Formats: sequence, C-alpha cells, structure tokens
Amino acid sequence: MKAFTILAPLAVAMTMICGCGQEDDGVRRFTVGFDADFPPYGFKEGSEYKGFDLDLARAVCERKGWKFVANPINWDAKDMELNSGSIDCIWNGFTMQGREDAYTFSSAYVDNSQVVLVKADSAINDFASLAGKVVGVQTDTPVAKALASGGDRQDLGSTFKAIVVEPNYNQLVNELDMGAVDAVALDVGVAKRKMCDLPGKFRMLDEIVMKETYGIGFKKGNTTLRDEVEAALREIANEGLMAELARKYGIDEQALILK
Amino acid sequence: MTFWSMLQELLGGLSVSVEIFFFTLLIALPLGFPVALGRMSSNWAVSGFFRLFISIVRGTPLMLQIIFVYFAPYIFFKMPLSHYPRLLATVLAFGLNYAAYFAEIYRGGILSIDVGQREAARALGMSRRQTFLRIILPQTIKRVIPAVGNEVITLVKDTSLAFTIAVTEMFTIARQLSSAHTSMMPLIAAGVFYYIFNYFVAFAMEKLEKRLSYYG
Repeated sequence: MKAFTILAPLAVAMTMICGCGQEDDGVRRFTVGFDADFPPYGFKEGSEYKGFDLDLARAVCERKGWKFVANPINWDAKDMELNSGSIDCIWNGFTMQGREDAYTFSSAYVDNSQVVLVKADSAINDFASLAGKVVGVQTDTPVAKALASGGDRQDLGSTFKAIVVEPNYNQLVNELDMGAVDAVALDVGVAKRKMCDLPGKFRMLDEIVMKETYGIGFKKGNTTLRDEVEAALREIANEGLMAELARKYGIDEQALILK
Repeated sequence: MTFWSMLQELLGGLSVSVEIFFFTLLIALPLGFPVALGRMSSNWAVSGFFRLFISIVRGTPLMLQIIFVYFAPYIFFKMPLSHYPRLLATVLAFGLNYAAYFAEIYRGGILSIDVGQREAARALGMSRRQTFLRIILPQTIKRVIPAVGNEVITLVKDTSLAFTIAVTEMFTIARQLSSAHTSMMPLIAAGVFYYIFNYFVAFAMEKLEKRLSYYG
C-alpha cells in the first residue's frame, strides 16, 4: 500500500512528462523550427506562433493534410535540431547564401537584403560614416559571417570599431535604442517591422550590405520532403496567397520570387 | 497585446517552469543521498565513480549538460529524436545536475555530525544501518535545509536554461513577447513572476526549517 501511494503519483508524473498524451493518430506531423524573435517572419501572437513564413508553412500543411507544429528553437542549436530529426525543416527567413552545402534547400522564394539601421537622430548617413562605429549583428547569420574578417563584406566590416554579436534581433534593436551599439545590420523585413513598431526612432541607410535569398532548409539529403513541400508552396504562390501574406506582414511584394 | 493577455501567456510559460522545477526536485532530492553515500564509500571504485560524476557535473555548464542529454541518443547511436520528449531530457539533465550539488551538501551535513554520536550509538548496540537512519540522517536533514534552500531557489531561475533545447518556459515566452511587440514589459513581468515564485519557495523552506528545529 505504501509503495503504491508513492508510485501512483510518480507514474502519473512520468506519463505527463513523457507527453504520452501526444497521440500518434496516423496524421503526419510537420515540425517547423524557427526563431521566434524574428518578426514578421515568425513570432508569437497571442497564444499562437504566426508570421509570413509560419503562415506559409501552415498553408502547406493544410494542403498536404499534415499536422502543423511550430517549434521555436534556440537558433544556435538549429543544426542539431534538424539533423537529429527533432524538427523537419528550418523555415524562418532562412538565408541560403553561405549555407548551400549544409542543407538541402527549397528554391528561393523571397529576395532579401541586409540593411543597416541607425537611430533617427544619428550622425551616420552612409556606410562611410560607419567607420569607427560599433555595429551589432545576430549570432550565426550570413551577414555576421560576411562582415567578419575573411567574409565577403570584410571591406565594410573592417572599418568598424567593433562588431557585437547578439543572441537575437530584439536585443540588438533594444541596444541600438539605448545607445549600446551605433548601428545594427539586419534583414530588411525585420528592420521595417521595427521602424513600424517604434515609429520615429530608427532610420534605415540607403546602401545595402548584401543581397540574399530566403529558402526553406531541410536536412542535407532530404530531397523527398523538400520536393513535397516545394510543390505545395508553388501551388500556394500561384493562387496568390503568398502575395496576400506579404501585404499582411508588410513585406515588399517586389521581393517575392515565387508568385 | 493587452496586459492581461500578456500575463496569461506568461502564466502558461510559468506552468512549464514549475513543471521543470518540481520534477527536478523529485529526482534530485532523493538521488542526492545515494550519490553522497557513494562518494563517502570506503570502496575506492565506488567513491571514485561518484567523485568523477560530481566533478564532471559541477565542472561543466548546465546548458551543455542539457544539450548533451537531449542529443546524446542521436550523437552516439544515430537515433532520431522525433519521439524523445524535450521536457524529459530537460528534467533528466536538471535532475542529475542538482543531485550532484545536493550530494555534496548532504555529505557536508553527514560529516558535520560529531563522531561521538556514532560511538555512542555503537555503545548502545545499534547497527551501522540503524545508526545512519535513526541518528545521523534526521540531524543531517535538519542541518542541510538552509544550503538546500539556496540551491532550490537557484533552480527556479535556472529553469530558463531549458530553452537551450527549445522548451518554451516562462523566460522564453517573455522574450518572444518582447520581440513580437518590441517592448520590455514582458521581461519585467517575468522578473516579478520569478520573484513571487521564489518568495513562496523561501517561505516554504523557512517553515520547514522551523518545524525541524525541535530543540528550539
């Protein structure tokens, strides 16, 4: 009896923790890994995860009859998450350039550029005046790699006083706001979103650090899943949903590659 | 985002944090005892093993241990992790980590009991087992409460490390809300929640300490 009174709650606890309630009802799950600190592509709204990319993924799942699972991940652990099968793909304003060898990518579906955001009252007006300034970037992003020594934009990066690598965009923008960094290099979609959220605070420089494209990243070699998702994505784009989502999330329609 | 919907979301995250907290204690508090006794064993192989365990756990970051526990089946056996619950891995990692710290606290507690008490117990004809369970252990528990309380409070705050393997506990929800709405408010609210949580933990530990101080 005594053993039972101890073991019973333990057993309940273990079933709870093992998530045995997760029914495997034969419906295929499609788990999208994304960085939830990345509006407007993937972010938390109410109790749900939404955004341009997540809405697209949800639409793909509806079309394929899959169960959509949005799984916010630690951006630094994304390769382990993908390779170990914890997530099925990375779909989150995921830049293809510089990562071509590490993933099986879908076709590019959005053009993106890396821009520089400064405070509205900053004296920085162009890339030349970034010399000797502290510039923030997000960890493990192509733009961070490009600006670092040995990268494609080392010419620009080497003029900075320092490059500060931050864990997420929100922190970057906060630090810019508070003056801890003089400028931040980030995706144009995120920059526009932040300028919209905090009107009058920031300004975007006209010059562009680099152009790149977004794709959906699958585990290296997983072409089957890639082809299935891409076919559905093309249908969705043809029906105009992608353009509709772009309007909804303030992404330049000109930037859409699949239409 | 209204203030109430933010609190609701944070409370959802808090329930995950609380889950990690309780299951970790459920594992670590009892597990600390065998680890402490193993560490004090007169058998060099046993004590060496536990010494190594404690040394590794204390000498490496908890964040790394969480990653290790979750990804180990894949790294070593190429097992896909799609059915390995993240929360289980989190609690295992936390449980092992805290058990090591608790073990050292327990060991300190056990060693602090005067050797004269063991001798007295033997003189009264008690076996080693009886001596430990009836004389040493009750006094140890009493003495280690403040140190254990320290660790338990640290645990509340450490739960935020669970996001390393994508468990969305309260701090992660707060950060996501902060990102989505470009506002510091959710982070401040999360801080208040942690404080309230720990206030209750500290209160409970104090009560426990009082109850156990039966000699006044």
